[in-house]
Amino acid sequence: MTDFHWIGKDHKRPDGPDKVAGKTLYIHDLTRPGMVFGKIKFSAHAHARIVRIDTSKAEKLPGVLAVLTGYNSPEVRVGFMRDNVALKRGKVRQFRDEVAAVAAISPEIAEEAIELIDVEYEPLDAVFDPVEAMREGAPLVHEVDANGKPVKTNIMPLDYGHQSGDIEAARRASKFIAEGTYSVPRIQQSCMGTAGCIAEFDMNDNLTIWAKTQIPFLAQRDYNRALEEMGLSGKNARVIVPALGGGFGTGLDTHCYEFIAILLAHRTGRPVKILYDRFEEFAYLSPRQSATTRIVQGCDADGMLTFREIEVLQDNGAYASWGATYPTVMLLPATSLYRVPNIRFSAKIVYTNNTYCQAMRGYGNPEVTWALECNMDDLAAKAGIDAYEFRRRNSNVPGETTPMGLQVSTCGMVECLTTTRTRLGWDDKRGKNEHTPGQAPRKRRGVGMASLIHVGGSGRIYRSDASGLTMKLDDFGNVNVFYGGVEMGQGLHSSITLAVAESLGVLPDQVHINQTDTATCPWDVGTHASRGAFMACNAAILAARELRGKIFASCESIFPAEIKKNIEKLRRKDPTFTPPDIDIAAIAKKENFDLARGIITLRGLPNESWAQIDIGRFLRAIHFRPDGDMLAARAFYDPPSELPDWSRGRGNMSATYTYGVQGAEVEVDEDTGEVRILRMTCALDVGKVLNLQTLKGQVYGGLVQGVGYALYEEVKSEHGRILNPGFTDYKLPTAGEIDFPIDLDFIETADTFGPFGAKGVGEPGLVPTAPAIGNAVFDAIGVRIHDLPITPEKVLAALEARKS
Amino acid sequence: MTSYEYHRPKTLEEALKLKASIAGARWLAGGTDLLVQFNKRSKPLPPAVISLRNIDELCAIDARDGGLRIGSMVSLTDIAAHPAIRDGFSALTESIRLFASEQIRNVCTLGGNLCNASPAADCAPPLLVHDARIELQSQGGTRFVELPNFFRGPGQTAIEAGEVLAAVWLSHPRAGCRSAFMKKGRTQMDVAVASVAVRVEMDGDVCRSARVAAGAVAPLPLRLPEVEAILEGARISNDLVSRARQAASRAVSPITDIRSTETYRRHIVGVFVERALSSLTGGGRVSDAAEVQI
Amino acid sequence: MKTEVGFELNGIRVSAMVEPHDRLLDVVRDRLGNTGTKEGCSEGECGACTVIVDGRTVNSCLYPALEVEGKKVLTVEGLLSARNRLSPIQDAFVEMGGAQCGFCTPGMVMTTVALIERNAAPTDGEIRHALTGNLCRCTGYVQIVESIRRAAEKVREAEKEKGSP
Repeated sequence: MTDFHWIGKDHKRPDGPDKVAGKTLYIHDLTRPGMVFGKIKFSAHAHARIVRIDTSKAEKLPGVLAVLTGYNSPEVRVGFMRDNVALKRGKVRQFRDEVAAVAAISPEIAEEAIELIDVEYEPLDAVFDPVEAMREGAPLVHEVDANGKPVKTNIMPLDYGHQSGDIEAARRASKFIAEGTYSVPRIQQSCMGTAGCIAEFDMNDNLTIWAKTQIPFLAQRDYNRALEEMGLSGKNARVIVPALGGGFGTGLDTHCYEFIAILLAHRTGRPVKILYDRFEEFAYLSPRQSATTRIVQGCDADGMLTFREIEVLQDNGAYASWGATYPTVMLLPATSLYRVPNIRFSAKIVYTNNTYCQAMRGYGNPEVTWALECNMDDLAAKAGIDAYEFRRRNSNVPGETTPMGLQVSTCGMVECLTTTRTRLGWDDKRGKNEHTPGQAPRKRRGVGMASLIHVGGSGRIYRSDASGLTMKLDDFGNVNVFYGGVEMGQGLHSSITLAVAESLGVLPDQVHINQTDTATCPWDVGTHASRGAFMACNAAILAARELRGKIFASCESIFPAEIKKNIEKLRRKDPTFTPPDIDIAAIAKKENFDLARGIITLRGLPNESWAQIDIGRFLRAIHFRPDGDMLAARAFYDPPSELPDWSRGRGNMSATYTYGVQGAEVEVDEDTGEVRILRMTCALDVGKVLNLQTLKGQVYGGLVQGVGYALYEEVKSEHGRILNPGFTDYKLPTAGEIDFPIDLDFIETADTFGPFGAKGVGEPGLVPTAPAIGNAVFDAIGVRIHDLPITPEKVLAALEARKS
Repeated sequence: MTSYEYHRPKTLEEALKLKASIAGARWLAGGTDLLVQFNKRSKPLPPAVISLRNIDELCAIDARDGGLRIGSMVSLTDIAAHPAIRDGFSALTESIRLFASEQIRNVCTLGGNLCNASPAADCAPPLLVHDARIELQSQGGTRFVELPNFFRGPGQTAIEAGEVLAAVWLSHPRAGCRSAFMKKGRTQMDVAVASVAVRVEMDGDVCRSARVAAGAVAPLPLRLPEVEAILEGARISNDLVSRARQAASRAVSPITDIRSTETYRRHIVGVFVERALSSLTGGGRVSDAAEVQI
Repeated sequence: MKTEVGFELNGIRVSAMVEPHDRLLDVVRDRLGNTGTKEGCSEGECGACTVIVDGRTVNSCLYPALEVEGKKVLTVEGLLSARNRLSPIQDAFVEMGGAQCGFCTPGMVMTTVALIERNAAPTDGEIRHALTGNLCRCTGYVQIVESIRRAAEKVREAEKEKGSP
């Protein structure tokens, strides 16, 4: 299908009107009859033994319904390594450890009760730096693992690595080598809608939880496990997802606060709402994983990459969540960004008493791409080759298989590179250290670029990477769609609406996406890895195909009779009307029908309204007859990919890969150290544009998060305590910073596996932004900052250092 | 108890009586500092809050005695829109333009901003270079304090128990006076890393009088007399502006905190003094005109 | 101790019982059930709680409830027409993709209402300056600025139509 009715154009989002009217309901807006409020008491130390918890005063406060600690409630294990528990016993390992929780009739009373809980601690030596934590004799964050086995080191038993070719031989054969160590800080996802949930049990002990989650079904699995641990074996958790108020990875794991809400709900017999305010969001929710990356790359005399060595060190914080698994995605750029024959990748992940980390858009890719793409510029400079040309020579190409085993179907990297070169005015601007016209030589301009590879056809990180989708037709031609993934603002509902309309043949207004609910929607692993539209739309196409088959099969008997009625009705109005002499029953074979824009037509009949029936009428006709039927279809789409062997870093983890290049033009004020962005460009191989408006939204949004990552954002902490838990000192980009043009170019490579040819685009916008800017800064002032964010203080210090 | 008494007196007399009679009561101006504290529960709640928002005599700007009297409860938005402020007090107008957001400016007041006495208070440097005087009222009468003497330390002012900041007085600027304000934060919303206000009165290319003030680079917003001394009576030149820059950097005592470093703040103060002077006098190095509004 | 405050909300006289420490945000959302206005940060930084009081935008999370006595308050709910249709400004946000997760959107829309009221043809620079106190994490602001530009256009068109014979 190359001539689409709906796909590829600019569409208003179906959820737009409710959002602008303020009618959309987020967890913040939901209430349940009898609902009470939960609040959590967090640890006063980064590392300490819990000596005593006295809850007696809190329990006596009027309005308090329950006070829970790790000592009076069932133990609920949390995290994929099960190294965390919802309410802590024995010791606390970070400032955000949950030591007690209260349910009360108002948030104020709950707050007051929290203050009345008295905890006595015996502080322990703590460790806040991963290098310190790896040393012999460092305080152990965990003394035993989830199975009670003694643990001897803070280095986590997670094995991620890759080795291909012969690094040493390649090193010896290299003409040029560049090396560098780079770091990225923890940053906060900073959803505008904070975290929260409502947990409620019915009188059969089944749980319903309204959760701010991106993984309703994996969350259900976690909650069911918790129910077992609570002695409620065989009982079920139903997960309902309201409008999220942003995700960006915060919803990819289950959190202690959710299990605490469940425990409080069961103890009190009332629905319990826990809602984080902004301070709690910053101080007690898991931020993005930080990393230090050492990279060495080499090339031959022609600038062809010979080898790449990457070592990553991660300060994990006190417990395992998805931050610890970033290396699974780091493998992508490490092994497959540009063509490199000899690669070594290793990662060390270390427990400390800092806050632990979660997923965030890009999930390890931006972290390594920062180091890799800065290093590419360095290596190009050493080789005396232009940085664009260097990238072009080593560019990925369609049809290749990378050292990790990624099967590249379509790849628009070369087009993205050449587009960026043109957009930036690269040849005129690069290497000129241009002074801003009319200014004394205190402001210098430069350009830089950086590429990205990301999964574009989901990313297999779990034993199933499937998504189900159900379509149910009603008597009026409405298509009720049930999909188990999550709309978090990215435009998933819009994509599904258009895909269903396009592949089934109805109007978008006839398509209704239902709320994500584990009770009604088919299973989905989660909305992550930029997979939402790719998976849902592919599943929609399959289900639509099945549904069209059923519709056209039934049409063989229904259609002729309905057309006869049309003709009779017309005759009554206009007795002179004579239809053409066609034996409708004879041509009414399923292969001759079509459904488009909600109208069923038959090939061989003229394009007149009497020769057509709308889908609603058809559906009523098959429903209200002897042996009637209602039509529905279901698809369970599993993409062609494999679960990699992470310790060897091998496996084709996605059905396809998204490529792109971002360019930056900056002006650096040498007096103040400020980096001002003059222009950004983003060329992205998207496979196919589904909805132009939402695609732009994803790319702009990701790019601006990348700007924040590059220049402003940092979770600052000292001895485990977060120092900037608020927007006053955590610097999110505001509209005022984004005062430069952003050129977007979408390269349509028409992917084999993508729905209508489309690839996943949720995360790529954030991946190469920081190095594009960092490389532009270097071009402007000849100074390379290795540690994000690139602050004026760092730039000035680097300029001063170069003077002396 | 998680609440407090809330009083809404209609006259200054009523307000002062309440303040005198309730120990620990706090004045409430725009609420953009106090309510943040309350929302965050960063300090214990006071027993009572006395709102100054409904007292007409605190909400007026008028010309008086050769100067301008700005009632302490006039919103920043209204101050910046007043023709007399726009025309004569550019540094103040610019500092308000860059102050937080419009939502904040619509309720924030000079009174509140000054009484909060943050070392980084954006309004302070412009008011310092405009020789502002503070009018304090109590049940015992009225007294005036020159602004430099009003700030005593971070969060500390010269206000005594039972007193309220009733107005800020500015003298009308002489012809030939021009002022500028610059601040360094990433955006207006940021607490300033450093801010500078400069006012000069030029006679040709000779500087007849100069006022230079800085914020966020010492425990209080402060005037920089060392820099003023270099400028007053001197002919503007690249060299003079350069010396003023260096003197400014030496004169301040910034700290390193989570927002910035001592080195950087010291450096930026100098850069701002240089740039403000350059744009106001046309002397010194050409700087980015867009950063300084006259 | 609760006190009654009376004020005008979206053109209708209302009253609510409030505690001394309640904020206008609590009255609007919890007492009066208008949940369109959101609490994003509780410190006047994010603008998700923006409402218009007597013609001016304020952060309702910092506005004492008792001070709203006798005032006119406009929230996002008050923008719909008498027939429950979206206002031209809201229409523009839908047309130009100004809302993604939608949490910041009511605040953005209210700031837009006030902006266009005082400046019928704002430049992009003026739009961005007006948005200083409204944070968004999803959109990167580009389509919000485009929405506001379009909103100003639509309001001008609507004014012209009203004015024409």
